[in-house]
Amino acid sequence: MNEVSKTGNVFYTFKGLLLKPEVSSFLIFIIMFVITATLQESFFTIKSIVRNINAFTPLILLAMGQAVVIVAGGLDLSSGAALSLFTCVLTTVMKRNDPVTGIYAILVTFAVAILVGMVNGVGIGYLRIPPVIVTFATSYMWLGIALFLRPTPGGESVDWFRAFYKIDAVAGAPAVLKTIGTFIPPALVLLIIGCLLWFIISKTRTGRYIYAVGSNIESAYVSGIDTARTQMLACIINSVFIFLAALFFVGQNQSGDARMGGPLTLKSIAAVVVGGISLTGGRGSVYFALLGALTLSFVNKIIFFANIPNAYQTLVSGIIIIVAIAGPAYVMFSKPKQ
Amino acid sequence: MNSVIVLEAKGIKKHFGGVVALSNGNLQCRKGRITGLLGANGSGKSTLSKIIAGVYRADGGEIRYNGKVVHYRNPHEARRDGIALVFQNLSLVPDLTVWQNIVLGVEKNRGLFLDNQSAKELSRKILQQLLPDLDINRKVHELSPGEMQIVEIAKAISENPQLLILDEPTAALEQTQAKNLFNYMRSLAQQGVAMIFTSHRLWEVMEICDDVTIFRNGEDVATIDFEKEGKDPEKIVSYITGEVKKSTIQVQRREISDEVLLKVNITGKDKVLKDVSFELRKGEILGIGGLSGQGQQELIYALSGSYPGVRCDVELNGRKLRLIRPADAIQNGILLVPGDRQREGLSLEHSIYSNMIFPKLGLRGHPLFIPETRYCQECEQIARLLSIKAPGIDVPVNTLSGGNQQKVVVGKWLSFDIKVLLLADPAKGVDVGAKRDLYEYIVNLAKEKKIGVILYASDNEELIQYTDRLLIMYEGRIVATLTGADINDDMITATSMRVR
Repeated sequence: MNEVSKTGNVFYTFKGLLLKPEVSSFLIFIIMFVITATLQESFFTIKSIVRNINAFTPLILLAMGQAVVIVAGGLDLSSGAALSLFTCVLTTVMKRNDPVTGIYAILVTFAVAILVGMVNGVGIGYLRIPPVIVTFATSYMWLGIALFLRPTPGGESVDWFRAFYKIDAVAGAPAVLKTIGTFIPPALVLLIIGCLLWFIISKTRTGRYIYAVGSNIESAYVSGIDTARTQMLACIINSVFIFLAALFFVGQNQSGDARMGGPLTLKSIAAVVVGGISLTGGRGSVYFALLGALTLSFVNKIIFFANIPNAYQTLVSGIIIIVAIAGPAYVMFSKPKQ
Repeated sequence: MNSVIVLEAKGIKKHFGGVVALSNGNLQCRKGRITGLLGANGSGKSTLSKIIAGVYRADGGEIRYNGKVVHYRNPHEARRDGIALVFQNLSLVPDLTVWQNIVLGVEKNRGLFLDNQSAKELSRKILQQLLPDLDINRKVHELSPGEMQIVEIAKAISENPQLLILDEPTAALEQTQAKNLFNYMRSLAQQGVAMIFTSHRLWEVMEICDDVTIFRNGEDVATIDFEKEGKDPEKIVSYITGEVKKSTIQVQRREISDEVLLKVNITGKDKVLKDVSFELRKGEILGIGGLSGQGQQELIYALSGSYPGVRCDVELNGRKLRLIRPADAIQNGILLVPGDRQREGLSLEHSIYSNMIFPKLGLRGHPLFIPETRYCQECEQIARLLSIKAPGIDVPVNTLSGGNQQKVVVGKWLSFDIKVLLLADPAKGVDVGAKRDLYEYIVNLAKEKKIGVILYASDNEELIQYTDRLLIMYEGRIVATLTGADINDDMITATSMRVR
């Protein structure tokens, strides 16, 4: 074995492990999980778990979609706006008294989602415009269309759409489904669908190429990979994740809102980073975006339960996130290397 | 010589901008034979192999592959036809594993999903012979340069090419790795694969190749069949250098004082730059030559404090210094004119004036407010001194020609107290007139102000014409020191290739 591979063994020491983004992300997650569980007495009751899953699902789905784009070497500043747009499209197509319109709405919105992904993907992949610019511009387009459809929050939704939030709430639902629904909330099913989606993609060429393109686009190109197409597919996959989040949101609120998604954009990017995924692309696991989103959500809960005055909550959450991300790196780099 | 001709290149021409890279390139490759390509830097051998692999398109001439004329527009088309080029670490994706890289772009499916099992088996089979110890599940960015190079080769082989082009494959390899590669190349040859092998290491070519084609100035000057004509290194070197060029340059060597200006002592465990120590005298122009990529550029950067990884201890006028950051060098008057002026030497969108004052602003003890009037006058003076052709000092440097841009890079330092000037290929892409101006100015500077100059140039002619002493580097070490009449083309080539 030569010198280089010996230094590679650094990764098997404790400090080296901390430096591995996945390991440190996981540790941070565990810490936040334990703190939250201690602070909230009812944390392990089914009711509380279901409530937490419902609260976290939109961010988790957006973060996983965002992770796919980031791994492919892009960035999506339009994901929150796309989420708003999808809720507005859903509630515009649906008519309260006609259950069939629910199906139409899902189909139309899915098509819109694919289109949204394609527009971002063409800009990033084919036109080679920097992703920040493309998605910043498209975020205004999505917001503009959403505001046109739904200037104020509202709209109609069919009754059975509540099934995406709570099966109990649907009037005519079968009793069996209702019982299952109390243990396995629909939000969890959406998350599982999301994870399965990525599991399947990651076993195909597209999944491999997304990593290759994000890691080194030139090398991927000379290896015969259609890099533009790969980046566009990544954007479309992201859009599908956002679409799943939109189903949940409309199920929960029975309405569309052109401004609800905005704040989620940067949160989803932060969740990806907390999940140990490299912003430069190619590195990190998409599933860890889920962990990152959970960590961020726990931070909010901790602040809530720690009785921190309202005025300081935002400040404290910022500090916790910075310490959590920078901590492991500090431990590693503060000691001089031999 | 009786086996089937796989590939034949006839009269290939190629130029980049105004520079002719190939004027008349001819080459034949036969089934099961390894053809060596030799030539000095810029002789056209790499260009030709890249044209064959579809990386570049030829401006003229024809390539026949298996008897048919082919025009490849990109490397994929050539690969599909069975011509594989081993890239120099260009086609590996750092965050994928070894086996994922080997099948990248040609993955096979089993049902809906990727067939990882067969991909791993294939990778293991190929690497068995080349590098048995390598764990194929490691990510490529964790590998050493040599291991990466081998993975690159394995990737090219995985597609069962008929013609394999290896462009300097051994440059990054350790001795045992190179041995394994040669053994593998021999077994590939037995299977009927034709190969093109380029290397700067003459003895490697003599060891592995069946015949060799030598390039000089964009033309093939000789083809030697080792079996019939034997292996004569001196003869090959004479083909590489050519006899015509020698007499054209008449150089007057100057007398140099014995006063030592700079003592350099570099140690470290760097991959490119190994232990280097030498002395530079006052008023001397010290050249650094050798084959390209032997650590010359890195040496220059280390001296300017911008090459981390090695410890650069120097003694300037008897005072000990350690150069860690560029500021250390600048503060002490060791100033760098980088080779890539567009990237490292200039802020292209900024004016001549801004570019010239930038390095001053970071100096210790610089006044808080910029003394604009004084700097303007200084700058105009320097512009006149160097005869920079520009409408004024406030025009952006990207409107200037290459030669004038380079004068601005040199001009940056002229208001400093220069002790040592470091030049990294300063005349690259500069026209003949501007090149002569630049060098004459530097020679005068060295003579009058008694500064020391360390010059690295990829063009041997510049080294022969302007240096007082020439160090030849090879694999990060100084292997020869040439002085006086020894600074000539023959000696440079011979010592660079370690024939003498």
